[in-house]
Amino acid sequence: MSSSRWIVLASLVLALVALLARPAWAVERNVAGSLQLDYHLSPERSAPVGSGPTFRGFTTEAAVKLSADISNQLSVNVKVCLGCHGLETDMAALDYRFADELSVRVGRFSPSFGAFNLRHDPANHRLSDKPLAYDMGRMLRLRDWNLGVLPSPFPDNGVEASGTHWFGSTVQLDYAAHLVSGFKGASGGTDIDWVQSRTGSLYYVDNNDQPAYGGRLALTHRFSQNGDVTAGTSFMRGAFDPGAKLAYTIAGADVSLRIKRTNLRIEYLVRRQDLDVSDPKRYRYEIPASGGDHFLKHGGYAELEVPVTGSLDLVGRFDALYRSGNVLVDSPLLARSGIFRYTLGTAYSLQRGLRLKYSTELWTFSDPGYAGKNSAVSMHIGAATAF
Amino acid sequence: MTRTWALALVMMVLSAAGVISCLTTSPRLRPLGDGLDVRSLPEENRADYELFAQRCSKCHSLSRALDNGHIEDRFWEFYVERMRHQPGSGIAPEEVPQILRFLHFYSREGAPGTEVKESK
Repeated sequence: MSSSRWIVLASLVLALVALLARPAWAVERNVAGSLQLDYHLSPERSAPVGSGPTFRGFTTEAAVKLSADISNQLSVNVKVCLGCHGLETDMAALDYRFADELSVRVGRFSPSFGAFNLRHDPANHRLSDKPLAYDMGRMLRLRDWNLGVLPSPFPDNGVEASGTHWFGSTVQLDYAAHLVSGFKGASGGTDIDWVQSRTGSLYYVDNNDQPAYGGRLALTHRFSQNGDVTAGTSFMRGAFDPGAKLAYTIAGADVSLRIKRTNLRIEYLVRRQDLDVSDPKRYRYEIPASGGDHFLKHGGYAELEVPVTGSLDLVGRFDALYRSGNVLVDSPLLARSGIFRYTLGTAYSLQRGLRLKYSTELWTFSDPGYAGKNSAVSMHIGAATAF
Repeated sequence: MTRTWALALVMMVLSAAGVISCLTTSPRLRPLGDGLDVRSLPEENRADYELFAQRCSKCHSLSRALDNGHIEDRFWEFYVERMRHQPGSGIAPEEVPQILRFLHFYSREGAPGTEVKESK
């Protein structure tokens, strides 16, 4: 479908929503926000060439969100955040709920994918950093790896239809399907360009006219008043180069178990990323006749969050990243590279809305990399507030 | 100083001011961690609070609701409805009245600056 047809379609959806919306007699507004200051102590130094910096020292993440409930059916959310790369629009979208089973979201938002993204705000998770699969900058060797599988959040322009349905009072089914611009990369690209994908300085518009698509399906079973288990699966696919010839496909599965305030979360993601192999000299390894035109990046974590007292939580997390496939000649990675990370952390509520966080991370790498080591230890200490 | 860092500084100062303000306020209900000490609640409100705390801490901290300053029932009706539609919220439709009942109580008698009935 051409871009002009997409514009017409989007206009029709907006017009329909505007027609169906009830008059705004008394709009209910709410302002919420969060702020986290984190200090990352890492002994691993930046490599002289090629390997970008690890984000060490202080980082601040702040966000402010305005929600307006215009009616029981219509709400609008605008959220801006300040992170390591300046001010970004995390969300600017309207939701129209036709029924529990059908809501439509239009605008800029992170499409439904995986379990973690709902909690991506630093005030909503107990550790300072995100799981490796969703890492957006705090991982060691972030440039070597070009971040995780799907850096979170991943706001994009588009439309999403979603719904929820209860079977009795113990089983909840959630589903969502989206059409968004999709991630971006250069012509002849060898990976997604995350900066180009998120930055407003290159315009919040797609670099090709092919929307990305995907969805999520999740089932929650409440087995007691204070316990539930959720299993979900997610998917997204799109073209990332201007010519729309190179594609990425991301799939994920997640399981979350919650008993009172104890949470066990397990999540796995994999991304299949097309490579432009028209110039084989760019790559370290010979391009095989079949199967050499892509790489796979796997990521997963298991996290246990246990309340020790009313104010103190203990968190343990195991992370892994694994990449297989060809690499550029100057990459420090090999055809198969991996990372394991073991994290132990605490979160202490100094008072309601203010949490102190501390965590220690042990990293092991399959490759010595530019740093020349196969392991590293790092530490986070931070404070996060929700208001 | 770049505009970004100036903005960050302003936000940090505002947050610090908010924290100090909270510390100097004396809520009628005893806070505990991210929520409330259930023992400081009147007996008849405890089950409502337990349900609110269990459901509403799944994705975010309880302070999002407890400290947002709203006291209007209509606001909470919309708010809880929006939250109920979040994927995996675990808030069943029949639980909404109980959650709203707690928020109604808290807005009028439990929030900072309001009087609360003594627990029996």
